[in-house]
Amino acid sequence: MNDRPIIELTNITKIYESKVMHRALTQLDFSAKEGEFVAIMGPSGSGKTTLLNIISTVDMPTSGSVVINGVEPETLSDDDLAKFRRQHFGFVFQEINLLQMLTVEENIVLPLTLEGAPVHEMQARVQKVAEALSIDDILNRRPNELSGGQAQRTAIARALIHQPKLILADEPTGNLDSKSARDVLELLTTINEREGTTMVMVTHDPIAASYCDRVLFIKDGEFFNELYRDEHRQTFFQRILNVLSLLGGNVHDLRHM
Amino acid sequence: MTFRQFAYNNVVRNRRVYAAFFMASVFSVAVFFLYSMLLFHPSIEDRFLQEIAFVGMGFAEVTLYVFTLFFLFYSMRAFLQARSKEFGILIHLGMAKRQLQRLIFLETMLIGAAAIGVGTFFGFLFSKFFFMIVREIVRLPALPLYIAWEPFALTVGAFLSLFIIIALIAPIFIRTDEVNTLIHEDADSEHTDDFSPVRGYLGLFLLIGSYVFAATTKDSAVIGLIIVLPPIALLATYLFFTDTLPLALQWIRKHKWIYWRRLNLLSVTEGIVRLKENARMFFLVTIVSTVAFMSVGVLASLTSFASQYREVNPLGMTYKSAPGNPDEARHINGLIAELGKEEIDYDLVRFTVMEQQSSTTAHRVTILKASDMNELAMSFNASEVALSEGEAVFLPASQAAARKLKNTVVQTVLEPSDVPVIIRGAYMENLFPAGAHGTNAIILNDIDFEKIVQRPNAKEAFAYTYYAFYVSEWQATKEVGRSIERDLMPLSVSSSFRYDNPGASYSILRMTFSLLLFIGLLLAGVLFLAAGSFIYFRLYTSLDRGRAEYDVLRRLGVTNKEFKKIVNRQLMPQFFFPWGVALLHSAFAFMSLQVIWGALAEISIRKEMLLVLGGFTLLQLVYFYLIRWRYLAHVRAPLS
Repeated sequence: MNDRPIIELTNITKIYESKVMHRALTQLDFSAKEGEFVAIMGPSGSGKTTLLNIISTVDMPTSGSVVINGVEPETLSDDDLAKFRRQHFGFVFQEINLLQMLTVEENIVLPLTLEGAPVHEMQARVQKVAEALSIDDILNRRPNELSGGQAQRTAIARALIHQPKLILADEPTGNLDSKSARDVLELLTTINEREGTTMVMVTHDPIAASYCDRVLFIKDGEFFNELYRDEHRQTFFQRILNVLSLLGGNVHDLRHM
Repeated sequence: MTFRQFAYNNVVRNRRVYAAFFMASVFSVAVFFLYSMLLFHPSIEDRFLQEIAFVGMGFAEVTLYVFTLFFLFYSMRAFLQARSKEFGILIHLGMAKRQLQRLIFLETMLIGAAAIGVGTFFGFLFSKFFFMIVREIVRLPALPLYIAWEPFALTVGAFLSLFIIIALIAPIFIRTDEVNTLIHEDADSEHTDDFSPVRGYLGLFLLIGSYVFAATTKDSAVIGLIIVLPPIALLATYLFFTDTLPLALQWIRKHKWIYWRRLNLLSVTEGIVRLKENARMFFLVTIVSTVAFMSVGVLASLTSFASQYREVNPLGMTYKSAPGNPDEARHINGLIAELGKEEIDYDLVRFTVMEQQSSTTAHRVTILKASDMNELAMSFNASEVALSEGEAVFLPASQAAARKLKNTVVQTVLEPSDVPVIIRGAYMENLFPAGAHGTNAIILNDIDFEKIVQRPNAKEAFAYTYYAFYVSEWQATKEVGRSIERDLMPLSVSSSFRYDNPGASYSILRMTFSLLLFIGLLLAGVLFLAAGSFIYFRLYTSLDRGRAEYDVLRRLGVTNKEFKKIVNRQLMPQFFFPWGVALLHSAFAFMSLQVIWGALAEISIRKEMLLVLGGFTLLQLVYFYLIRWRYLAHVRAPLS
């Protein structure tokens, strides 16, 4: 594992100004080393997704600096930024977000077509990724013919096909049953270990978080706590639960009952 | 909240979705009302023009009615499908099927009533303006604004019935049997592969076939083709959109080297989905556009026919007096006086025209005197005839006849005067209206002409007197000689004189054609707006999907430019494919029309055709950019 930080966010503040002004992040620092698998946890509305959007350069912070793989996204034009995203990131979402009118294969190959890769190369890569994720037998199906796990694996294949440096996942197991969720997580871990791809995952689920190297907890847009993985996933999981019980405000809520 | 309030709130809160629907309805009500205002206008006195206005407007109104019916029918169905989730929830909450039907009926009638009210209001507001345009184009005398109950009654009655039909039919579109599927229905999840390759090829074959026939048609076959081709083309167009195009897209899908190239992947699949949704609408738009192109093209060419009227009628007024016409002197003096009063410059040449029989053919020959002819030629600045004794030239009835007679030489004797004459060639200047002196006329030298006149029985040889008024500002004479026309009216069959005033005839022709053209243009405008609104409406109902897609694509790193390209490729075919096919259709239809038309009036309609098609394409382009702008703005709005 390389020690160079691939993501470096310093002093990030994000304020949404619409009808109601809303401060989503307050002076938050975040960094991830190359090859690291980081989970971001926190209650609803704590700013997890905002943070992920800022890392993925879809959103810009109100103040603070962002450096991704040595590049400051703020200095890029919109089009360059889009190309930067295209080359560096792979996305996995909760609402899977496969394009309904495309088949599994077409969904997977989509990022490559944007790059204008040669067809034979695209086909070779689809085959390879599909085999690795064991979805090579459903390549011609439509998204609405897939089970939740198959759909999420398709989404992961799409995120992997162009061999990105970073995979960003927003609740990747949110809509899955426990078996599929475990499959997906093990898959992500394998990719992380084998390919050395950096992963940042937002999750609610302590089991999902326990697969990671490190868990960052945020609350109301501010840093709350950080945990590193130890030898046993079981104890790591227990420690995550402990932080969550402090974090969730559940104790406070219970008092009113 | 009462049931009616609920319906009202539904409409008001869904107003953005209803907007396109509402606008198109309002526009079509307004135009319908304007037509009705003209239809019932009390001061269009000219009976002929009134008839034209009546027939033209009537036809336009029926077309408008039928099209609006189709348009509302389609939009209503698409709209109700888009709301199926909402209906699912209502049924879940225990709404009876009959209540749901009543809800939809109330909503539709609410929109309908509002559209009728607003449309009639705007129609009335703009009717003065409309009359002014009509007056300008048609050169009618002033059309005052008037208030009568008929236009209101017709418009309200027509559209009320229309909306009631729609409101009664619409609820059938909702499948109320499976509540669960209603709630979870994903409008776009339908399969896109159900088309028949056989029908696809058949469509292509029929389309190409009808084009080939239309393009290669000859005079004799054209009448048959006019009956046979339109239904074939209609069927071909339908198959083209429902089967041929999906077949073509499927072909692309199978060929990854095209399909997987850059944005093609997204564009082609999007195309398939849209085509699937809208094939019938595209068909309808294509047919309606073709009809609009055709009618406007034909009407425009009629206007150009009128503008070439002068060539067919080079003289101003003409007066042809048979022997024994008691009114001759009175009429001519009257015309001269009127021309003087209106201060119109003219040259008057009086022809004494004789008639003889040709010894060689036994046909009657109409004979004009060379010096009379030369006097007229001088007014025209045309070449004169120089004939010595025993010589004559043909006076051709038309330019086609002139070409035929140009090199003809005939030697004959004019009977019964017994005057030998050589008729050599034709007088090539075009000074008379076509066929003014029949098909067998000659110009005879003065000496021989006098021989015929001086004969004892000259009275029998005398055919008629022809007064040719050469007027350079010929259109100015349209009011001259009205009293003569009145004399002519009651005994038109065996009249002893004939009066022609091309200035007046032209103004009637022009008015008629302009009026028809104007009606056609307005109608085409309505259809065009409605078709565009429908596309917008479809886009709007699938906006959520569009936004979700935009979000995914943005994260995948699609640049703004690329996204615009994707939207372009998504919208362009929807706007321009039906129009392109319609252009092609009408181009080929014009080609076969040119055969009849060319034979009819010896004019080419190519210029008018280009003008009309170009104009429509430009309009379509403007509309396309307008809608793309709105769509992009909506899609890029942050996800709520």
